[in-house]
Amino acid sequence: MASTLVMSEAQGWRFGRPQIYAGLVVLLALSMLMSLTLGYKIYSLDQVWMALFAHDGSETAVVIAGLRLPRALIAPLAGAALGMAGVMVQTLSRNRIASPDTLGLNAGASLAVVVASILLGVQSLAGLSLAAAFGAFVTAIVVFGVAASAGGLSPLKIVLVGVTFASLSHAFVEVLLTSNEAQLQQLLFWLSGAFVDRPIALFYNGLPVVVVGTVIGLSLSRALDALQADDSTAAGLGVPLAAVRGLAFVAVALLTGAAVSMAGPVAFVGLVVPHAARRLVGLRHIHQLPAAALFGAVYTTLADVAARFVIYPVEAPVGAITAVVGAIVLLVLLMRRAA
Amino acid sequence: MADVPSRIEVRDLTLMYGHETVLDALSLPIPRGKVTVLAGPNGCGKSTLLRAIRRLHTGQKGQIFLDAVDIASLGAKELARQIGLLAQNPSAPPDMTVEELVRLGRYPHQAMLQPWSEKDGVAVNRAMAGTGVTGLKTRRIGSLSGGQLQRAWIAMVLAQETDVICLDEPVNHLDMAHQLDCLDLVSQLNREDGRTIVLVLHDLNLAARYADQLVFVHEGRVRALGQPEELMKPELLAEVFEVDAAIMTDPVHGRPICIPRGRARAAVQERA
Repeated sequence: MASTLVMSEAQGWRFGRPQIYAGLVVLLALSMLMSLTLGYKIYSLDQVWMALFAHDGSETAVVIAGLRLPRALIAPLAGAALGMAGVMVQTLSRNRIASPDTLGLNAGASLAVVVASILLGVQSLAGLSLAAAFGAFVTAIVVFGVAASAGGLSPLKIVLVGVTFASLSHAFVEVLLTSNEAQLQQLLFWLSGAFVDRPIALFYNGLPVVVVGTVIGLSLSRALDALQADDSTAAGLGVPLAAVRGLAFVAVALLTGAAVSMAGPVAFVGLVVPHAARRLVGLRHIHQLPAAALFGAVYTTLADVAARFVIYPVEAPVGAITAVVGAIVLLVLLMRRAA
Repeated sequence: MADVPSRIEVRDLTLMYGHETVLDALSLPIPRGKVTVLAGPNGCGKSTLLRAIRRLHTGQKGQIFLDAVDIASLGAKELARQIGLLAQNPSAPPDMTVEELVRLGRYPHQAMLQPWSEKDGVAVNRAMAGTGVTGLKTRRIGSLSGGQLQRAWIAMVLAQETDVICLDEPVNHLDMAHQLDCLDLVSQLNREDGRTIVLVLHDLNLAARYADQLVFVHEGRVRALGQPEELMKPELLAEVFEVDAAIMTDPVHGRPICIPRGRARAAVQERA
C-alpha cells in the first residue's frame, strides 16, 4: 500500500489500510478520553491527568480513577473482544447476520449469572462475572458438540442449535427471575449489559483471556480466509475443516466469555462491528480481525458515553444503546438482502 | 495411451453412503499431461470419483497413487500442492474481491504465520493473467458475470500451482459461448503447460470434443475408457446413458458427436 489513496474500480477512492488503522487508533484514544471526561459531571483534561498520574486523594481524583477509569478500559476491551468474536462467528457460519448472540453465548452467560445469583447465592460481582464466562464457555461447547454430533458442523446447523439454546436459556432466565422478584432489580441492570460500576480487577482478569483469543484468531487467519468459500473448496485447498472450526470456536468462546464477564451481555456488538471492519479493510482476516477489534473498541466506548446522556441524569444500560443501533443495522442488512 | 505412464492410478476404490455403494471397486488410470473427461448419467458416481481423487471423502476404501505414491500418506497441504480442485458450484462471499479470491489458492503453500511472499504474488498475478481477470482484480465477485466468475475461480485453482487440476462440472451454469470459453481455457492449460486435467462434464458432445481420454462411469464402475472415437458408439450410449443416439463426425473438429433420437428402446420397454 504505497500511496495514501488507493484507486479501486469497485469502491471508488478509498484510504489505504495504514491510514485506516491510524484513524481508528486516534478515534479510540479520543473516545477513551471522552469516557474519562464526560458524564454526570464533566471533568477537565487537567483533572483527568491529575487523577491518573498525580493522585492527590481528592474526591475528583477518586471518582476519575475509581469509577471513570475502569469503564474507559473495560468498554473498549469488551468491544474489541466482541468485534473479533463476531468476525469469526460470521465466517464460521457463513452468515453475515450471525453473532455471538445468535450462537446463544450471551444467553448462556446470562443464564449462568442468574443461576449463580438466585440458586447458589453468589453476590459478588467477581463471582457473577466468573459465572458469566463459565456460562458462555459451556454454551459454546454444548452448541458445538450438539451441532457436531448432529452430523457435520454445517453453518446452518451451528446457528440453528445456537438459536435453540438461546431461546431455552432465555426461558429459564425468565422463569427464575419472575419467581425471585427480590433479585430482579439487581440482575436486570447486569442482564442488559453495562460498563458502569465495574471494578478495575475485571479488566485485569479479562485482558489475558482476550489476548489468548486474539492470538488464536490471528493464527487461524489464513484458514478462516479459505473457510469463507464453500467446504469443498476449503478442503480442496488443504484446510483441516474440523480442526479449524473447533479452534476458532474456542477463540470465540474465550472472547465472548471475557466480554460478558466484564460487562454482561452487550447486545449486537458482534453483529454490527464485522460489517464495518470488512468495509474498511476487506475480507482477509489478518486485517478483518484487528480492524474489528479497533472499531469494536471505539463503538462500545462511544455507546458507553452516549448511555450517560440519553436519559440524563440517570444512566441507561449500554446494552440498550447497542441493541437499538444493532436492530437498525440488522433491519438495513435484511432489507438490502431482500432488495 | 499405453506409452504414457499414468499420473494418477485409482485402484479398487470403494465408497459407501450408508448402505448404498457409490463407487464399487473402481480402477482407473489417469494419463500424465492429458485431458481426462469423466462422463456418465446422473448419480453414476463421477463427481464422487473426482472428489475421491482429491481425498475429500471419509471412509473411502482402496488406493489412489499419485506417481506411485499412495495419497493416503500425504498431508492435506502437501496433497493440495499436487492436486487442485474446482468444486461443483463453488461459493464465496459476494463482497470478496477477485484478488482476494485468487489469493486463497496460495493457502497450501503458506506456513501458518509465514508472511505473504514474492513467490505468492507472482503466482497470483500469473493466474489472473492466464485467465484474463487481471483487469477485474478489485471487482467484487458478486458483480461479475457468470463467465467472469468462473474465470476467477479457475484463477484461484491456478494460483495453487498444481500439476493436476480437477474440475467438477465447470460449465454447468454457463451459456454456450462461456462454456466454450471456459473449456478452451482449460485445454490451453493442458497444451501449453502440460498439466494433467480431470474434468467431469455432463454434455457428451463437449466431453468428446475436449477429451484425450474419455471415461464412462456407470453404477459406480468404469464401464469403458479410451479415445472419444472408441467410446462414442450407439450400443455403448444405449447401455450407459439409456439413449438411442446416432453418431456423426463433427465436420469442424473431426470429433464424434451424438444426436439422441430418444430414450433407448430397452429402457422404454422396461418402464412400460
